[in-house]
Amino acid sequence: MISKKIIVDNKLGLHARPCALLVKTASRYRSDLLIKKDNIEVNGKSIMGVMMLAAEYKSELELIANGVDEEYMIEEISKLFASKFNEE
Amino acid sequence: MKILTVREFFEMKNREFALTVVTEPKTLDNHVEESQLHRPGLALAGFLERFAYKRIQVIGETEISYMQTISEDLLYDRIKEMFEFSIPLIIVTKGLSIPQQIEYLANELNIAIMTSRLSTDKLINSLTRFLREYFAPQKSMHGTLVDAFGVGILLTGKSGIGKSECALDLVERGHRLIADDLVKIVQADDILTGTAVNDFGYFMEVRGVGLIDVERMFGIEAVRKSVIIETQVELMLWQDSMDYERIGLTNNYVDILGVSIPIIYLPVSPGKNVSVILEVIALNHILKKYGYEAAEVYQRKLQERIKKKTGLKNLAENDENEL
Repeated sequence: MISKKIIVDNKLGLHARPCALLVKTASRYRSDLLIKKDNIEVNGKSIMGVMMLAAEYKSELELIANGVDEEYMIEEISKLFASKFNEE
Repeated sequence: MKILTVREFFEMKNREFALTVVTEPKTLDNHVEESQLHRPGLALAGFLERFAYKRIQVIGETEISYMQTISEDLLYDRIKEMFEFSIPLIIVTKGLSIPQQIEYLANELNIAIMTSRLSTDKLINSLTRFLREYFAPQKSMHGTLVDAFGVGILLTGKSGIGKSECALDLVERGHRLIADDLVKIVQADDILTGTAVNDFGYFMEVRGVGLIDVERMFGIEAVRKSVIIETQVELMLWQDSMDYERIGLTNNYVDILGVSIPIIYLPVSPGKNVSVILEVIALNHILKKYGYEAAEVYQRKLQERIKKKTGLKNLAENDENEL
């Protein structure tokens, strides 16, 4: 199991489109993904869950991956955040 | 382009249009190739430029009365000139009789003439509708067509994926089957209408069982002759590599006979209740038609929430800076 803290860096926050991108990316891996924000913990492969976080610009999330390909999963998802979900 | 012989036309429609053939049988071999009609008033008056002679010509009371106002010789010349064009068929309405010389010339120059007992208006309306349907672009597609809540859903996907089973399940839930396995689609006025390819009834193959008769088994309420195809659903085996729609903010479309309709790629896996999802697709389609997009509404709410939080954060940060 690995975990990583990450800051939402796109101005619009995690609205529907970035959430979809995140969930689709996560679903390509076999590992499980949990996303934590302010004591709420959601399944990173569930679109409703991730949207429920309503993660705003500059908020902090914790990604927790668990499984055989956890490192690759975290790496690719971090890249998504770094690229600001291709929004800016 | 589809071709309609005058004989075929007569055999199909002589009852409905109350037709009688006036000219010799050989004239029935003519071909109709255009779906429009023409009133040859100007041609009768001698103006033959841009004469749409390939169309079916409809002669009504007005034209007949006009012919009575000109001398027989002049009429003969005019008609002869007009008949030099290879007109496939002339229909005279209201059962009016036509001058002898016209009948003679028509036989000479191989133009079919029929009379109809219908009024000109009625004949033109029904004939236009018939020709438009007959010449409408059409094709047949491998798939199953069902009506769920009045929405025509074309189910496609590989053989054995479960299209027929899906249709059966929908029928059990009170929806209706239009065609199984092969669907005939006709496009008219940018509307796709689907029917069965033949008129054998509503038979269906269920793997392991064989043929069943859906109408016999579930009753007349379980079937329907035709429906407007509003959406296509492609059933496919679940593939990990495939990106399935998760929110519904983007819609996919497919082109059928030049008409674009929404398509949904629906992953199926054993134990998944596809018919419930198909019902949901139909209902969601109706909501969208009435202007309600659930995905957009949710997206808007989410954005508002995020914006509010961002605003609050900025305020807090500003406070800190001021301190």
